[in-house]
Amino acid sequence: MRSRAIHLAVAALLLGMGLTLPRIFAQEPPAQPPQEEQQPGNVTLVLPGNQQFKPIKLGIPAFRRLGALAGDAARAADEMEQVVRQDLQNSGYFTISGPEAFQGLQLTGDLARDLEAYRTTGVETLLLGDLRAEADKIVFEGRLFDVASGQAILAKRYRGALPVARRIGHTFADEVILFLTGQRGISLSSIAFTSDRTGQKEIWVMDYDGQNQRRITGHRSTSMSPAWSPDGESLAYTSFFNGPPGIYLAELASGRKRPIVNSGSLNTTPTFSPDGQRVVFARSVDGNVEIFVTGRSGGDLRRLTHSGAIDTNPSWSPTGGQIAFTSGRAGNPHIYLMDEEGSNQRRLTTEGDYNDGAAWNPTGDLIAYTSRRGGRFQIAVTNVVTQATQILTSGPGENESPSFSPDGRHIVYVSRKSGTKQLYVMDLDGSHVRQLTNEGNNDMPDWSRLPAQR
Amino acid sequence: MNRKWMIWIVAPVLLTVLYGCPKKKPATPAQDLDVNTTTVTPPPPTQEVTPEPVATPPQDTVESNPLDSPDLQVVNAELQRRGFSPDVYFDYDESSLSDDARAKLARNADLLKTTQLLVTIEGHADERGTNEYNLALGDKRANAVRDYLTSLGVDAGRLRTLSYGEERPVCTESEESCWSQNRRGHMVITGRANMG
Repeated sequence: MRSRAIHLAVAALLLGMGLTLPRIFAQEPPAQPPQEEQQPGNVTLVLPGNQQFKPIKLGIPAFRRLGALAGDAARAADEMEQVVRQDLQNSGYFTISGPEAFQGLQLTGDLARDLEAYRTTGVETLLLGDLRAEADKIVFEGRLFDVASGQAILAKRYRGALPVARRIGHTFADEVILFLTGQRGISLSSIAFTSDRTGQKEIWVMDYDGQNQRRITGHRSTSMSPAWSPDGESLAYTSFFNGPPGIYLAELASGRKRPIVNSGSLNTTPTFSPDGQRVVFARSVDGNVEIFVTGRSGGDLRRLTHSGAIDTNPSWSPTGGQIAFTSGRAGNPHIYLMDEEGSNQRRLTTEGDYNDGAAWNPTGDLIAYTSRRGGRFQIAVTNVVTQATQILTSGPGENESPSFSPDGRHIVYVSRKSGTKQLYVMDLDGSHVRQLTNEGNNDMPDWSRLPAQR
Repeated sequence: MNRKWMIWIVAPVLLTVLYGCPKKKPATPAQDLDVNTTTVTPPPPTQEVTPEPVATPPQDTVESNPLDSPDLQVVNAELQRRGFSPDVYFDYDESSLSDDARAKLARNADLLKTTQLLVTIEGHADERGTNEYNLALGDKRANAVRDYLTSLGVDAGRLRTLSYGEERPVCTESEESCWSQNRRGHMVITGRANMG
């Protein structure tokens, strides 16, 4: 990740106007922390979805092409523009007016006058982009204007090789999001998942928007349950390639794989501790599956559950301290919580007759999971404090395996509604569903944390 | 190590003492197995030696027991011919053994106790439910089979469990007739104890 960032040779240059640019939208409330309705027994869960955030009206006219842009450079420019638009759209923070909305405007090329024209359309913020070629590189300059005051509020310039055009677009989109909302964007995050498109289940990784899908393992066996390390540089996963399922670590930069735990007859469903130093997972012992913790390189194996029933699929809370897991100890699978040393085990879910696959949101107050309701699997979210629960999906199609985006505003999950298992993203209120994959069957998504601060 | 060579001296002597000169084996392999096991049970070393006392090339006309075949496919097929059930089936989300499963496993245990074969017990689940939970469920099913075979006298050291959850279905239609075939404990001969 980091080496690729260096490779980029992305040069960000604040043009400015000789002034420290004021964050004039600082008064925009950063996404409200979820305020739950506290009455016990009230199952209405107010999710921190987009409905609480007043979208910013953002105008994005077509980016200008300066000079000759042909062939690959022209394609890279088109792609970069499309990425910026799509990322800002996907973020859910904006109501975006595209080039079409501005077609009737009398634009002169004189910025002060043109801002007058844009003002009539009701946009609050204007994003202007300039693209040009420079030798074998592409140069992108993006500027934000506060339409009311006519002031430039953000300006960035990037220069990079054509293959990194998408990455430049993602980087700029996240700068815009950070500037206007105070929140870090997710445009540079990745999603790990399993795919059987090569004939066997392997671990794959893609960009958050479904692009750049690439295979990570080549075990030609069954590999599953990928889990990002917090630094985003490696994945823990389960694989059968050596016979009994063991837990392995794939380092993305080097491509190296090494075992974490592969003794015994079954080791599955790893996830990392928030500091990345330990892995919690499920292991068969004495004829039953229980939860264990080990070091990131194996060793120091400690057992956390002793229920005699199935205990599996653990997930470490991002703020530390707690582990959510699935247990069959009450007869049906349900989500439980325990302190990270294994004490204080308690049941979280009470509704549905089959709950599995707990996934924490980044602030550690919500858990999304697969819940069977009326015979159908749906994505549910439960507040760990109030236990208020909301079902986010509906209808047939077996919706399973949720994972939160690093900003907690979106969920990636699996649905079979197309007939095969594919990955989809939705906003936290269940809206704005987008399909990310379509080749083979794709399953078990795990959304990375934010990439390391640049 | 050191003592291993002694068997080649001790065993023929024992054999001679017990049975006189070694005889040609009876014609049918099935009987062969029964005769061997019933009569030879007390001194284990002799049983180990009976098949081929000296290194005889396989093309020797001595009729061999198919259960001694180095080809495990032959062994699996022969066991099934003798009534070994490779699969026992489970109810949905269940890992307890039905009466039918127990009856099959009792027959399997009898057959296994006459051999030194190693068995891998695979645990499988149908596609309903999550892959992760089904992997744990498959493990519980495989262990239920192992525990029952062990309770019937099969040496636990010869039994290995391996859960595939819902990852290796024998049938892929989304209907009960198919799901019921996938909820199984599957027993495969994967080796032989005491084999060099």
